[in-house]
Amino acid sequence: MKAIRALALAAAAALALSGCAGGTAAAPAAECGTADAFCIGLVTDSGKVDDKSFNQSAWEGVQAAVKAIPGSQSKYVETTDTKDYAANIKQFTDKKYNVVVTVGFLMTEATQAAAKANPNVKFIGIDQFQDTAKVGEIANLAGLTFPEDQAGYAAGVLAAKLSKTKVLGQVLGMQIAPVEKFAKGFEAGAKSVASDIKVITVYHPAGDNAFTDPAWGAAEAQKQLDQKADVIFGAGGKTGNGALGQVAKASGAGESIFCIGVDTDQWNTVPEAQKCLVTSAMKLISEGTADQIKAIKGATFKGGNVTGKAGLAEYHAFDSKVPADVKDAVSKVVADLKSGALQTGVKLG
Amino acid sequence: MTDFIRNNRVAVIGAAVVLLACIVLTLVAGTDSDIVRKTTSILRFAWTFAIPLVLAALVGVIGERSGVVNIGIEGQILASAFAGFFVAAASGSVWIGILAGLLTGMVMGAFLAWLCVRLRMDQIIAGVVLNIVATGITSFYYVQGKSLPSGVPVWEVPLLSKIPIIGPVFFRGGPIALGTLVVVVGLVFALFHTRWGLRTRAIGEYPTAADTAGINVNLMRFVNVTMAGLLAGAAGAVLSMEQSSTFERGMSAGKGFLALAIMIFGAWFPGRAFFAALFFGLMSGLASQLQADKVVNIPQQFINLLPFVLTLIILSVAAGRVRPPAASGQPFVKGEGS
Repeated sequence: MKAIRALALAAAAALALSGCAGGTAAAPAAECGTADAFCIGLVTDSGKVDDKSFNQSAWEGVQAAVKAIPGSQSKYVETTDTKDYAANIKQFTDKKYNVVVTVGFLMTEATQAAAKANPNVKFIGIDQFQDTAKVGEIANLAGLTFPEDQAGYAAGVLAAKLSKTKVLGQVLGMQIAPVEKFAKGFEAGAKSVASDIKVITVYHPAGDNAFTDPAWGAAEAQKQLDQKADVIFGAGGKTGNGALGQVAKASGAGESIFCIGVDTDQWNTVPEAQKCLVTSAMKLISEGTADQIKAIKGATFKGGNVTGKAGLAEYHAFDSKVPADVKDAVSKVVADLKSGALQTGVKLG
Repeated sequence: MTDFIRNNRVAVIGAAVVLLACIVLTLVAGTDSDIVRKTTSILRFAWTFAIPLVLAALVGVIGERSGVVNIGIEGQILASAFAGFFVAAASGSVWIGILAGLLTGMVMGAFLAWLCVRLRMDQIIAGVVLNIVATGITSFYYVQGKSLPSGVPVWEVPLLSKIPIIGPVFFRGGPIALGTLVVVVGLVFALFHTRWGLRTRAIGEYPTAADTAGINVNLMRFVNVTMAGLLAGAAGAVLSMEQSSTFERGMSAGKGFLALAIMIFGAWFPGRAFFAALFFGLMSGLASQLQADKVVNIPQQFINLLPFVLTLIILSVAAGRVRPPAASGQPFVKGEGS
């Protein structure tokens, strides 16, 4: 009897502690679904809203939009199990939110289904390319994708020019389209500098925690360092961050060994990597998300595929350490990619 | 010494062969050659991967050898990783953080022991409770934006770290990594060559007989499960502090359960569990190396099945005949045993 009581108590405590959604509804605003309210809901991928990477960028974009649009409010739901995508989206559509932002390639189908079922709600699907031939036009859904291959390409050019050993490493999250585009772009960029350069490319093996496994990222980065890689590209949420942190611990970090971050300017978000972090291959998720939300509010929103921007972050402390000719070459590549004079040649599939 | 060699012929010969192979390989190919670099790096990956698994498997071994099944190792690891990281961040000392991690593992061990031994609760359910509590607490109290005050120092064991290939892998590392080696050797000795070991095995095999011989079965179970918690705490601290510098919700990611499989794979022997975990790490390292080298042109998802498939095969072939401690999972009630 006593045992059962203890069990019940413990289980109840655990249940009470888990399953909380965060939010930033500071002042009690108008109820969602009424005319005055403008509610934005965000559903993360199985990463977290503070992953210092793509989920966080999207959430920051939402917050920027909230600031710009008076009377608006926002909330997020973190996905812990990929089976819950639809249920998490439904939490917002049930409460009559105006905009639902879903983050991540893996939520493509769930978002399309929800958009079809809720024609009055506007959806923004980040990293979700809309295959209109297959699903048709969905007017209330914008798939926001980024030219990751371009950011990866520019990073690859920089890495190849910094490398002395002519071996580069990539520690990646799950093998899905956005990550693959980064990786293939990086490899193509590196090979454009020197065709004999070696690029070690490794994706996280498991499914569920591919973006949340810093210990694996660190071990894999160490393995690549041991195999002579001297520039490591960490692209995969917290898994990639683990790789960056490990490179920063290596002897010679910042002198002969470097790392490159991903998605956001990770100089600010992963301070433990500052010792080696030359730059980050960014996609401007925050800006793209905020722009789309503002377009919805301003009634200029168009569904279908929308392409955001990608590029390299600042060099920060490495500004003085990266040789001027390397910087010039990299910025020329960035400019050429933007103008279309240079193609990355990356194809998936 | 000669007795020791005679009794452990396989182990001694195996160790000598491996050592010799490492030295010969290094002499023939050179320290800086590709093959030595690759071997060292894969082995280092394997050992890094294996450390938390070894520690967690030993928690299981001590528990079941004493007659208590511990399903809650996963929760112990998670809570310890959490406590270690955040206490270190708050106190400004990684040492206080590691201590906090160890103590958290121990406290959760004591909680499990209280449920299983004192309240005689179903041991599987008690372990599940531990896991649920750990998941809930670590998610709820998680705050973002914290970082470790400094990295955990890396030490080198003099002389031993100079051995080719093996030295830099096993004898160079953080305090917990090096401590794991000591714990494995210590536990092998303690379990089979001390009074504590004999009694522990007795209460796990035939508690009634042990009771008749005057051993306080339940007290000993309580103490063993509690102290084993220290190792689970170390497994957690190594994840969030030594192998990465961040706590991630759900970062134990099934390692506690994998460790139970390794414990069975190791037939409830601490030494064999060590090699089983290392084998699993080696398979993961090989899988990622195959992916990196692109030697075979098949999707990486298939290559990454390798460790699991091989483990399954070996489990079914080699470990098919293992037998758990007889009284594992059964609460002991004085005077009711058979």
